[in-house]
Order: sequence, then C-alpha cells, then structure tokens
Amino acid sequence: MRVAIAEDSAILRDGLAQLLTDRGHEVVAAVPDADGLRAAVEHDPPDVCVVDIRMPPSFTDEGLRAAIALRHSHPQVGVLVFSQYVETRYAAELLAGSTRGVGYLLKDRVADVREFVEALTRVAGGGTALDPEVVAQLLGASRKTDTLASLTPREHEVLTLMAEGLSNAGIAGKLVVTERAVEKHVANILLKLDLPPSDTENRRVLAVLRYLES
Amino acid sequence: MIDTSDVWQAEPAMTDRRPVRTFFTALLTRQAWAELLYAIILLPMGVFGFSLTVTTLTFSGGLMITFVGLPLLAGTGLLSRYLGQRWRAGANRLLGWDVPAPPPFRAKPGLLGWLSSCLRDGTAWRARLYLALQLPLGIASSVAAAFFVSYGIGALTYGIWYRWLPCNTDPRTHVCHHAAALWNEHYIETTPAILLTALAGLVIIFLAPWIVRGVLAIDRITMRALLGPSWTSSRVEELEQTRAQAVDDSAATLRRIERDLHDGTQARLVALAMNVGLAKEKLAEGGDPSEAAALLERAHTTAKDAIAEVRDLARGIHPPVLDAGLDAALATLCAHSAVPVELRTRLSVRPSPSIETIAYFCAAELITNVAKHSGARRAVLDATTTGSRLRLSVFDDGRGGAQLGGGTGLSGLTDRVRTVDGRLTVDSPAGGPTTVTVDLPLAPLQGDSPRNSLQEGQH
Repeated sequence: MRVAIAEDSAILRDGLAQLLTDRGHEVVAAVPDADGLRAAVEHDPPDVCVVDIRMPPSFTDEGLRAAIALRHSHPQVGVLVFSQYVETRYAAELLAGSTRGVGYLLKDRVADVREFVEALTRVAGGGTALDPEVVAQLLGASRKTDTLASLTPREHEVLTLMAEGLSNAGIAGKLVVTERAVEKHVANILLKLDLPPSDTENRRVLAVLRYLES
Repeated sequence: MIDTSDVWQAEPAMTDRRPVRTFFTALLTRQAWAELLYAIILLPMGVFGFSLTVTTLTFSGGLMITFVGLPLLAGTGLLSRYLGQRWRAGANRLLGWDVPAPPPFRAKPGLLGWLSSCLRDGTAWRARLYLALQLPLGIASSVAAAFFVSYGIGALTYGIWYRWLPCNTDPRTHVCHHAAALWNEHYIETTPAILLTALAGLVIIFLAPWIVRGVLAIDRITMRALLGPSWTSSRVEELEQTRAQAVDDSAATLRRIERDLHDGTQARLVALAMNVGLAKEKLAEGGDPSEAAALLERAHTTAKDAIAEVRDLARGIHPPVLDAGLDAALATLCAHSAVPVELRTRLSVRPSPSIETIAYFCAAELITNVAKHSGARRAVLDATTTGSRLRLSVFDDGRGGAQLGGGTGLSGLTDRVRTVDGRLTVDSPAGGPTTVTVDLPLAPLQGDSPRNSLQEGQH
C-alpha cells in the first residue's frame, strides 16, 4: 500500500511513517500542510492519504477542505481524515455524495495499531472506515429515533459496526459470533429500517448513513 | 439603558387582579392619600425650587466678574444637590418609590479641586434642573388634585347646597333660577339632573387618585432621570459588577482546569511512565516477557485514557470546531445529547468569537440541564441572528418549574451572559414546557460591524 501523510505535528507524522513502514507499506510523502499534500498527490497519486484536519496556516479545517477537494479531483485515491476531534458537521461534509474510499477516525485509534492499519487498508481498497464516535454522533443526530429504538441491543451493535464500514466477516470477528449469525442480524436490520439488501459493504454503509441523515 | 418600565406599574397596595374593584377601592388606600398630599405640596416646593435655581444662577452669573461668582455657583450647586436628594428620599419614603441614589459627591483635594469638582458635578446640575422643573410639575399636579377633588365633592353634594346659589337669570325668559346652568341654558334643578350630577361627582372622586397618579408618574420619570444616578454612573456600576463576575469566572475556570490536569492527566502520565519503566526493567533483566507484556498492556490503556481526557479538557476550554462557525459546533453538541435535540439555526451574520464561545457554552449547559433535570423526551435548540443580536433558545417538553438560582446553574449562566450585556430569560411553568432564551449582542462592544468592533475596542 502506498501512503501519503499530511500532519503538522512532526512527532505524529514520523511515528505514523515509522509504523506504516514497519508493516511493509510505502510512505510516498509525509508533509506538514495541505498545500504539500496537494502537490504530492498531483505529482504521484498514492493509494491512500492520511490527512489531519487542523493544519497551518489557519489551524481550523484546511485538512478537511483538502480531503474533500481530493475526493473530487482524485476519486481513486482513498482519503482517511484523522483528527483529534469528531464533528458531526465535518462528517456530513466528508460523506456527502459517496462513501467510496473514505474514512474519518479519531487520532486515538492509532494506539490500536492493527485496527488502524486494517481501517487504512479498507479505505485504500475503496471501502469505508468511520470512527465509532462518528457513528455514535450520526445516530445521536438522527431523527429516526423510533425505528432505531425498535432494534434489539445486538442489532444496534451490528448496525454500528456496519456503519463503521466493517464487512460481515469483520463484524463477526469483533462480536465473536459466526458470520451466519451476522448475516441474519444484517437482514433483520435492513428489514426494520426498510432498506434494500446490497451486495457490497460500501453501498450498505451509504444506505445506512443516508437513512440516518434523512 | 435606565429601566423605566416599573414606573408604569401600579403600586403594590393598589395592585389587584380585579381591575373594577381596584378602581373603586383606590381612594381608600394610604397610597392615594399620600399621593394627594405629595401632589399638593409639590407646588410650594416647586415655587421655592424654581426661584432658588433661577436666583442662584443669575446671582452667581452676575457676580462672575468678581471672585465670589464661581464659589457661589459651586456652593449653590451643592445646596441644590442636597435639597434634591432630601426630596428624593422623602418621596421614596412617602410614596414607596424606588428612585435610586446617585453616587455621593467626591471632591478633589485643595480649594481649586473642590471648586472644579463642584462645577463639574453632573448630579448637582441635574438637581438644579429638577428643582426648576418642579414648578410646572407642581402646578400640573396640584391643579389636577385640587380640580378633581373640589369638583368631585362639589358635584356630589350639589343637591344640598344648590338652593343657596345666587339668582341665575335666564337671559331669554328672565326667570330667576337658584341653580347652576350647563351651557347657559340647562338648569340643574330637577331631581334626575341632581342625581346625575351627584353620580358624576362620584365618578370624578373615584377617578381623582388615578389622574393624580398619572401626573405624578411624570414627576417620577423626571426624578429618576435628574435625581437618580446618571446613565453613565449606573452603567459604571453595572460594568464593575459584571467585570468582577468575569474575573471570578475565569479564575474559577483556571482552577478547574488546573485540578483536572493535575488529578487526571498528570496522574495517568505518571502511571504510564511507571508501567513502561517497569516493563523496560523486566526486559532488561531478561525476566518473564509475559509480565512485561501485561505491564505494557496496562500502559497502553492508560495512555489511551489520557488522550481522551486531554481531548475533553481541551474541548471544555475552547471547542476547535467553533472556528468553523457556531452552527457546526452546535451540531456536534446536539448529536452528543442524551435527549434528542433538534437543531435550527438561522445565522445570517457571524457573531464575534467571544460571543460564539459564550453562546456555545450556554447551549452546552442548557442542553445538559435538559438531560439532567427536565425529564424531557425531546428538545429544540434554536439559534437566530436578528439585527445586531444573537438569540439562542432551548425548548424542552419536560416537567418545567426551572427557576433562576434553582441550583440548575442558570444563575451562573446569567452572570456570564451579563458580562457582554446579554440577557437570560426563563419561561418554565410547573408541568412544562420550558423555554430558556439567551439574548446576546453580536459583539461584546457593539459597533457597526460585529467582526470589526472587537479590534476597534482595543484601540
């Protein structure tokens, strides 16, 4: 996997590069700002970019702007937004349109190296990786409280993991159940939310997110 | 702004929920008689006050070419101030008014200092003006009082005394009537006409206290403006108060942050360093790798907790998303709420950063209150800019009964909002629903453009 990193904190940038290199991935660019990232992607598009939201010069949301721009200009490049905070509005902007090759994770998640690399791989492969916190906020902001309340606790868990972008196998691994059981839960959830069954995880995430937003 | 709204409220003694009854019993209250007395003595006082002001001003003005002119002007200013304040205190006591006292006179040291302080004392000049204005006010009030009382009593008792009236000859019929005439042709001498007159007298008598009160309301407004503290000094007092609150508030915040950092984050980092250190020793000694792994596992958890804690702490100081706008910050706030909150924002202008911060923390506190105290099933957070104000309101369908100072942190919010001339109002009848509204200026120092006035204020 070829990765570009945009992160203004040198410690974190070097740490990320080190972590990814150790795991056999290639870090093609490690830059401290959004302009550097744009230049690097123009020059040599990677499989996936890791982008911090707050970067110089204004330290507000230039990373997010760059990420959204990249998703339009280079749809084949996965974008993982990596931030100290999760904001509902940012998530909505990032996920507007499609959920192909996009992720939004809290910086904390790098502490669990394996899960972090899995999420990054998923985004590089065109999948989705949403932080549990993002999903919790989308659920919290959703007006479909009545339907959501009709889900069993287990179904709620499965819905959350589905929205995070996990495959059935991934969900089964997390909940320590068989894939068959997960399939059954997913079918029930789609039925209760009145969503069409979909073949790929990507479409499934999109459907769930649109459902929560509407 | 000086609040004059209470001028128009009826006095407590006469306030009643039954207006008809209040109207008729007004005459029997102590208040009405006190007002009548005041209205009458306002005239002689007005004559005195007017003459004093005019005489002292012209006399001092005429002597201005000698060295006595200025000291005389200064001294009589102080005298006017003193008389005005005595009068104000007396009126407050007699009528139950609440015109506040202005700040006391403070002279600069030295004779010249005293002189210039006297001459530049706005309170003294305003007192002079009040004393002079007492004359027209006194005429109006005593005329109103005398007219209504004498005509009322006269008309009521007309049936008794009309027959002793001198002969009133009708110019057309040359008949002598011992009666009063309306428009020189209708003679009041039949029983129905006399009864009607008595009734009119009764109405006038009952009306009298209200007319007198109306005239005195003008005096009260004049007194508040001229004998009360000036707008500037009321404002200074308010600013001193809110500044003290702001300082206390920020000191308390700093203390809380220090405590959180010390008890939470720092303690976790110490534990983290300790566990990593122990694991390092274990590995260096060639000890059991599984023990080192357990220590590292604990260190890992502690580190993650510390990250989450620092994040919450930083967000509590200033949520970074506020830089992207109040609506974006409120969206996350609502999504985090335990009670479902619907967010409505119409922010056509961007408030200044400090106002956005205050609005955000107010919203956070109010939503927390809804979740903690109201038992509501849903809530609505509305943020709207209109003109030069930002209005934030939180509605919930909970049990109501929220009060300022009811231990729900609302008084703390009120203090915080007051530091920028904002206002917080609570509408929460028992049984609900509750609406708390926070009204804020778009910038702490109101200027032409909200974004610029902050910088302008720092010149």
